[in-house]
Amino acid sequence: MEAMVLAVKAVGLRVGYLDSEENVLWAVREASFEVSEGEIFCLVGESGCGKSTVGNAIAGILPPHAVTEGELHIFDRPVIQGGRMNYNGVRGRIVSYVPQNPGTGLNPYYTVEDQFYYVLNSLYGLGRRKAVEVSRNYLSLVGLDPDRVLDYYPHELSGGMQQRAAIALALSTGARVVVADEPTSSIDANLRLQLIKLLLDLRDSQRISLFLITHDIMSAGKICDTIAVMYAGRLLEVGRGSEVVTEPLHQYTRMLVDAAPTLGFKKALRSIPGEPPRPGVVVEGCAFRPRCPWAFEKCVEAPPRVGVFGREVECWRYVG
Amino acid sequence: MSVGSKVAIKLERVTAGYLTAARGWRSLRRRLEVVLNNVSLEVYNGERVVIIGESGSGKSTLLRVVLGLLKPLRGRVVVLGKEVYSLPWSERVRVLRAVGYVPQDPYKALNPSLKIRYSLMEPLEALGIGDPEGRMARVLRLVQLSEEVMNYYPTDLSGGMRQRVLIARAVIHDPEILVLDEPTSALDVSIQAQIINLINDLYEKLNLTVLVVTHDLGVAQYLADRAVILYKGEIVEEGFFEDVLHSPRNNYTKLLIKSYRASI
Amino acid sequence: MGAGVNAQQTGGSPRGAGLLSSLLRRQVRGLKFGAGLTVVLVMLALSLTCDFIAPYPEEGRGIAPPDARDRILLPPSTDHLFGTDSMGRDLFSRVVMGTRSALMQILIVISASLAVGLFVAVLSAYFRGVVEMVVSYLTELFMSVPAIVLALAFAIAVGRGLITVISSLVITWWSWYARITHIYARGVVEMDYVTLSRLSGLSPLKIVWRHVLRNVYPPVLVQAITDMGSVLLEATAINFLSLGVPINSPEWGVIMYEGKDVLVTAPWVTIFPGLFLLVTALGFSLLGDSLRESLDPRLRRKWRLWF
Repeated sequence: MEAMVLAVKAVGLRVGYLDSEENVLWAVREASFEVSEGEIFCLVGESGCGKSTVGNAIAGILPPHAVTEGELHIFDRPVIQGGRMNYNGVRGRIVSYVPQNPGTGLNPYYTVEDQFYYVLNSLYGLGRRKAVEVSRNYLSLVGLDPDRVLDYYPHELSGGMQQRAAIALALSTGARVVVADEPTSSIDANLRLQLIKLLLDLRDSQRISLFLITHDIMSAGKICDTIAVMYAGRLLEVGRGSEVVTEPLHQYTRMLVDAAPTLGFKKALRSIPGEPPRPGVVVEGCAFRPRCPWAFEKCVEAPPRVGVFGREVECWRYVG
Repeated sequence: MSVGSKVAIKLERVTAGYLTAARGWRSLRRRLEVVLNNVSLEVYNGERVVIIGESGSGKSTLLRVVLGLLKPLRGRVVVLGKEVYSLPWSERVRVLRAVGYVPQDPYKALNPSLKIRYSLMEPLEALGIGDPEGRMARVLRLVQLSEEVMNYYPTDLSGGMRQRVLIARAVIHDPEILVLDEPTSALDVSIQAQIINLINDLYEKLNLTVLVVTHDLGVAQYLADRAVILYKGEIVEEGFFEDVLHSPRNNYTKLLIKSYRASI
Repeated sequence: MGAGVNAQQTGGSPRGAGLLSSLLRRQVRGLKFGAGLTVVLVMLALSLTCDFIAPYPEEGRGIAPPDARDRILLPPSTDHLFGTDSMGRDLFSRVVMGTRSALMQILIVISASLAVGLFVAVLSAYFRGVVEMVVSYLTELFMSVPAIVLALAFAIAVGRGLITVISSLVITWWSWYARITHIYARGVVEMDYVTLSRLSGLSPLKIVWRHVLRNVYPPVLVQAITDMGSVLLEATAINFLSLGVPINSPEWGVIMYEGKDVLVTAPWVTIFPGLFLLVTALGFSLLGDSLRESLDPRLRRKWRLWF
């Protein structure tokens, strides 16, 4: 039987930052998950939950003053082991990153052609002609006409074109994993659907694994194979995309779904009382306890992760 | 909620834009950039209208025109029966006293060096309205914030709380119209729901006319009686929200609806 | 439902938002800050008490002693800690009293430049249009004038004196503060809280004071503190060139002017005021620099969140 290739595997990953007093503020407290090759994995959470940090950890762009614990493997290569990070040969080559704003993914001082050249040259030593050839492939792949785009500076392209060029650039390095942080949030409706379709096509045709970071759980449910719901640095629920949204197990997931408006069906919007803890604030036991309608005595201890119907949940209510 | 026949806000064939410097910010040559093109709109007393537009649609310009901050190149703007731009600034302010405005970014709309109480009090101070303490207490209760918030600085508050403070400030002088610019886009989903419910609550309690600008159809659904779709400076569709949602006529509207659940 | 403020959310009691107080809190442990502050405080103390500390106050003020001829250019000794100058006056007294002159010049120049620069720039940022254009031209114009050349022109036109030093410095320095202030003020003026105030009908002056000025002054103030060292150096230079305060004054530049003629035979006349000058300028520089470090990037990031 063929073993499933794991594009990304995290075991007990913790990432923190040193503050001015040399204390560690943990952004990611404990994350364990697996991304299979050719899968679309969505990390869903609200602001401050640490999802961008996880994305940065995978892409290899954590700042130098980041502190790590646990393990992170990319295609079986250990990029984070305990306190050490080693992204040689991985960053940029196997994993690529598409930032949130289309404009910021491209250097404003270089034409599109130059950007491809500098990236490919520094990574693989390609000459300009070869670089242009490669860039043409990828630009067409994302639906851009190379002849029209290569000579332009980023600001001369529309937002949607910039975003697609950034994706093409990210792919041209031969990356097998693409990390995208809210890639459609700053794009017009016109292009949002096209971009989603593009991502899905890439997954199908190129077997590229996508790691998407988003705040919108309903969209994630529609698009992703696997959803992980993140809160205060922990993964509260991980499971198949469609199921997690239609039948959420964790109270937080359920309340997120309840709070999200659904177009066409005007259900009562039920907000979650209180607010998520600010990054760096430590809560004893289960991080969601103060806001959880199911909380009981056991919740003062951090709950273990349990498997329920093929999903993983961190909640005492599912233990035993 | 009975809708009166009186018109709260009326835009009549408004074309608006900006003069931007042709070259460098000190050049004397100016270039005209038209952002709103021949826009006509009526908001009736007591109704909730949502203008749905994405970035680049001209919605921020539309708001500025309505608020009296940007004189249109063509057309008239009438607020509560008074033509706004025929008045000098001092009189305009008096007309606009009936309007409460909640700006988009709760992180940029409160002076960080002032305690909340001073920011809250400012409309009362400027308009010469009395009983600041009483009004502040009442208004904070309305937005469900405890009174001790008054002594905090904006940086001590979260985004959701700041948004509530802004809403409180917008209603503290008893306006008739409430205008909100993207009231939830800077907030998390779970807090969005709180604010949406709050806006509707105030709408009923204070008998307001509400005008909201947003790009989010889901938010619009909960805040709209009528919806106006703005695209590239023009109104491409308008009507009751349910009608627009279930029988859209314009292609852009259809696209908006279709792409609603693609916010990855 | 109903988000009351609770301690867990906001971290306890309301903290002061004063940027300067957070700046200072962060600094108290720093070495640079400590060293700079010490120097500045010592100089400040000296300037206030120099009349009592100087062993020969009259000589400090420039009056030659009766037995001057016996006491010309004496090297440092127990009687005269720093030696005497070419007129027989105790150098220590002169130098110590020069502290007062130095600090006074700094204070007047910096506060005047700050006042003018802040005021002008904030108004130009708020009112835009013609005002902004005129102010920016003036700013650039005055920024390009070197203070010493201006002092020379003044000295020729109206003669030397304290006024010459101060006015030539203020006329050139205000433009730097205007430039910095204007850059930040432009950002602040775009903020929604300014728009809200305008819509409420608050008077422009109140808006400028309460919203623009209050949020713009921190980096400018820190820059001013750092500048104090440079101002001192320029002022001293102008005095050294005999364009400023009258000869015989207790002023370091003036003393060094006298000392240059006897540099080989009586170097102490130049060394001691020079040392004081160096240390004072360094002290201000260190102080301002340490404040600026904490202002940027960490605190600066936080402050920039404000706009």
